[in-house]
Amino acid sequence: MPRAAQRRLHVLRRPKLRQSWSKYNLYNIWRQRDPKIGFTDHETFFQQKWRAKGLLRAYHGEHIKERDWERMFSRRLLSVANMNPRYMAENDGSEMAAGRGSGRDIVSKWKQDTVEPKTITPYMNMAFAPMERRLDIAIFRAMFASSARQARHFVVHGKVKVNGKVMHYPAYKLNPGDMFQVDPDSVMFATGQPKKKGGSSARQAITNPQDNAEAEPAAEEAEGAEAEAAEATEASEMPEQDPETTDKPEAPKADMKPTRQAIQKLTKQAKSILARDRDVSTSQKQNLRSFLKRAKPLLSKAGRSTATPTDILDELNSMVKELNLSDAPAETAAAAAAAETPSTPEQAVAAAARQEPPRSIEDLNADELKALQRLIKEEEENPADPTKPYHTPWKPRDYMSPFAFVPQYLEVNQNVCSAVYLRHPVARVGSAEVPTPFGYQINQLAFNWYLRRR
Amino acid sequence: MPPRIPTKSSASSASALVRSSFASPCTSQCLPSCRAGFSTTPSRERSTNLRRAFLQWTRTIGANYRQPKPEGGPNYISNARSSALQPFPLNAQFRSSRVLDEQARELIWEKVMRQGETLKAVSAELGVDLTRVAAVVRLKEVEKDWISKGKKLATPYSKAVLSMLPTKSFRPGVQNQPLEPINELHIHTATQKQLFWPTAESRQFTREDAAKAFHAKMLSADKRVPHPELIQMEKNLLRGMSPDDARARFINAAEQSERKAAEKQMKKAMAEEQATKKVNTKRFEFRFKEVDSELVGKDGRAPNVVGWKYGMPHYDRKKGLVKIPTSVP
Repeated sequence: MPRAAQRRLHVLRRPKLRQSWSKYNLYNIWRQRDPKIGFTDHETFFQQKWRAKGLLRAYHGEHIKERDWERMFSRRLLSVANMNPRYMAENDGSEMAAGRGSGRDIVSKWKQDTVEPKTITPYMNMAFAPMERRLDIAIFRAMFASSARQARHFVVHGKVKVNGKVMHYPAYKLNPGDMFQVDPDSVMFATGQPKKKGGSSARQAITNPQDNAEAEPAAEEAEGAEAEAAEATEASEMPEQDPETTDKPEAPKADMKPTRQAIQKLTKQAKSILARDRDVSTSQKQNLRSFLKRAKPLLSKAGRSTATPTDILDELNSMVKELNLSDAPAETAAAAAAAETPSTPEQAVAAAARQEPPRSIEDLNADELKALQRLIKEEEENPADPTKPYHTPWKPRDYMSPFAFVPQYLEVNQNVCSAVYLRHPVARVGSAEVPTPFGYQINQLAFNWYLRRR
Repeated sequence: MPPRIPTKSSASSASALVRSSFASPCTSQCLPSCRAGFSTTPSRERSTNLRRAFLQWTRTIGANYRQPKPEGGPNYISNARSSALQPFPLNAQFRSSRVLDEQARELIWEKVMRQGETLKAVSAELGVDLTRVAAVVRLKEVEKDWISKGKKLATPYSKAVLSMLPTKSFRPGVQNQPLEPINELHIHTATQKQLFWPTAESRQFTREDAAKAFHAKMLSADKRVPHPELIQMEKNLLRGMSPDDARARFINAAEQSERKAAEKQMKKAMAEEQATKKVNTKRFEFRFKEVDSELVGKDGRAPNVVGWKYGMPHYDRKKGLVKIPTSVP
């Protein structure tokens, strides 16, 4: 999409409404006045349709090529009628034969001052209904991403599963009954507040191992304990799960993240040492290069599901020993030592005990105890974790609430960041399910534009 | 032209240039002194009237939308004519619908999975669409699975989002207001045309007859709605049956229909199983099916026939053709 990539998504001058939670977009929606297309006769019908289509296409899938949308477009607009069981039990349909063939006429009340207009079924607001079937747009509608483009990014990067299988086509059209799941971390990154620039960002954590060494083991210890608890529960009661509702049971996965990080850190340091060429001898450089060469397969090995942290650590240790650098690798060795710590939970528990000063719980009264328990629970649910790419404890991003709605054709469970596409969006008397920023007339003109055979 | 005496700033930048050619890249960064101009006031940021208006908006009206409402509930942008549940001020025909809250979802799961009630009965009792009831149970199962596996739920996200949405909760054991209409009939394309269908004036032209008039195979609206059992229940009530009896019959009928559907599905799966011969090897499971090579259609090009047909192009690997899956089983 070179065309769209060059152009800015949100602008203040000649604004377009977008599928995005940006504050600029909110402002643009707020100040958008009715474009009043077709109210005067200074525009031809073609011009009216062209302008209406332009307004709506900027919102509905602006990242989708026009040709693709034209293929997707359908002139068949879906709708439903509410059938009251009581009425159906009382009447068998023959009452409609009365009058002129559509039921007995309703007597007009000519004496009334005003006549209530009949509520229409806004079929025309369904013009962009086929777009809502697309996986990326459904993810945006389920509030798992802050824009349709971000949703597309998630799909392309393998963060999204459809019916338990990774689906990397954003253009996949959901079928009624499809369940899609988005990686919770990505969702929380998309919908959470960004990390503060001055705070401990992930990038900073990589470049400054000394600072990181203190924070990391505690978090990793917690993860390890969690994994162990999960194993215990699995052993005691294997949950009977319907294979349709869940993924197949995964083997308890050893947490390879610390090991992988250690390898990445070591390779990075080795590279930086190589770059600072003056204080490293030729033989040391050769050693470092061979180390880098061997670290690459080790890194991919750590990513595999069969790898265990201890094996990888052993290999890494032997590699560091072989490196045999007298002065340069002081930090390298330190990093290796830091990588070893999470493998033994006892050490980390002791470290945690050292960090927290002993406090007696007996001093607290009942209310304080309750408050403490609540605080502990909140902390457990929403911990401060510097390894996350978003601001922790998690908070919703700014200007999110005006965009918060879930259309009726989706059923979302926010806890597991999953949703089910129940059915295609429909129109009913008085409302249409397609979320579109403009009213009936504009949609009608756009629909007519796409009806044209070209 | 007078000789040009290098100023202090240009001299230092020149020396920096000289240094950068010798020193390693990490020390070659420009020193702070080299960018000192004559003015000490920082230049003003580029700003337009539009941008100023936007910033003014963020400080005044926009400030209401920055954070969710402290008391919870929807916080949509509104103008004089829009309602409270209208996310887009210009589109009155799209309203934000209520979603089930945690407790309502738990109640539905409890009723279906613990108390063994049928989906139809739960749907009719709570006024939740049939497909939604099934989806809630399915998603809740995933959630329980995550909890049993010790996977971390996105609880803070869930709490925040549910506090921003209009929600619906149910009280167990009481008659609740419905969430949405449950007995909605899909408008079939065959019924959207206008017919001229002469019949005798004396004839009772029912919904059944109307369906036949539209299409020979079309079922009547009474059979196509999601809850035909509800219509029967209402008929029973009109006939003077006691509400408890009618309710018991409805529940029974719902069970029957669900059992029937399950049996049908079972039968289909069994037939599929019997028709395939499975051969397990080390790496793959081969599945063989009997195929009649005569069933290739009139011109031998029927679209769902297996195998390669002479003279028939095979687009599976052709460049530029859409290969996005159309369904994920």
